[in-house]
Amino acid sequence: MINTQDQEEIFRLIADYLKEDIECIAIGGTAMMFHGYKTATKDIDLIFKNSKDKEIFIRAIEKLGYSQKSLKFIYDEKRLKNKNKPLLYSRGEERFDLFVKDVFGFEIDFEKFVQRHDYIGKKELIIFTAPKEYIILLKSLTNREKDYEDIETIVKIEKNIDWSFIVNEAIRKRKQIPWMLIDLEETMERLRKVTFIKKEHFNKIYKAEEVARNKKK
Amino acid sequence: MDNINIMVYMDNINGLKEGKYTVKRFASENNLGKQSAINLLSKLKKQGLVEVTGGGKQKRIYTIHKLPKKRTNGFYDIVNKYSPEKLWPKFEHYVNGRYTVEQAIIDGIKIGDARTIEATAYLFKHVTNWKRLFDLAKKNKLEKQVITLYKKARETIKCRRLPQRYMK
Repeated sequence: MINTQDQEEIFRLIADYLKEDIECIAIGGTAMMFHGYKTATKDIDLIFKNSKDKEIFIRAIEKLGYSQKSLKFIYDEKRLKNKNKPLLYSRGEERFDLFVKDVFGFEIDFEKFVQRHDYIGKKELIIFTAPKEYIILLKSLTNREKDYEDIETIVKIEKNIDWSFIVNEAIRKRKQIPWMLIDLEETMERLRKVTFIKKEHFNKIYKAEEVARNKKK
Repeated sequence: MDNINIMVYMDNINGLKEGKYTVKRFASENNLGKQSAINLLSKLKKQGLVEVTGGGKQKRIYTIHKLPKKRTNGFYDIVNKYSPEKLWPKFEHYVNGRYTVEQAIIDGIKIGDARTIEATAYLFKHVTNWKRLFDLAKKNKLEKQVITLYKKARETIKCRRLPQRYMK
């Protein structure tokens, strides 16, 4: 596990080992820690703009003793087959999940960020933080129990979640990730026990899924 | 472990409303005596749930957040410190390491809207290292924009002269 302070120090250390300045976006547990929803995480999930930035980052963490690990037992079969699956690097209990451009086909807009963390060492590592709606959406994509618990934590704390934005984004990305709406609906249905979600959001999902299936036929 | 910590925050803030308070208002809204209110606010401040402004001649105003809030120390803090035109942050900017006025000028140009650019112009008054500024501009391919903004700043603001070698 990595706590908030460890995370800050690791990023600062990495900035000293980078060959060039790079930018990436934090999602998952890392983004939750930046927002203050969590105080520790198992893995640091980062999305890079391009493969070049990812390679620069990998070279830096390899120098720090991180090595590549298999994705098996971490993601399910469906996600393992996905061409946009991440690369895993770990050292002891710390783990990096490194994506390029998108998460299992879900493309991230680098302009939509709410926080910016600059780690200035020999070079600069700039980490943007995704908004809470993106965190919820991406966590519902992985279909892991611990990710559902994280979503529940956010929902319990935040009362003003833009469900309309989440549903619209999911519909927009349905073409690239066919299972997206189903996973989101499942998550939202479970969340109804802890928060109020308007029926219209569910109806929108059902309608979009039906339209997409009919088109396929 | 994480959830327990979050629950501790939530327990402390349970029943308290987010917002701005003076000690008097905080005490009356929560049925506390003045000293108890100060003690509770102090406890919350240590957990990062309360921000304080004022003090001395000004009345202290306590801002209560539901999540622990770290103080920003990036672009908007520098601009709002040096520029008379204040900006409302578009994002929270945290810096770990040395963030300089020169970097802030580049970030201001990158953000790019009229208000931000105008406020950024005031930073030229505080540039100490022109080389650093132009190295950063070159790296970000913003040399022309930096010179244009400098010229605009010189028209209205008293700022240091840019060495001729940078004026292409």
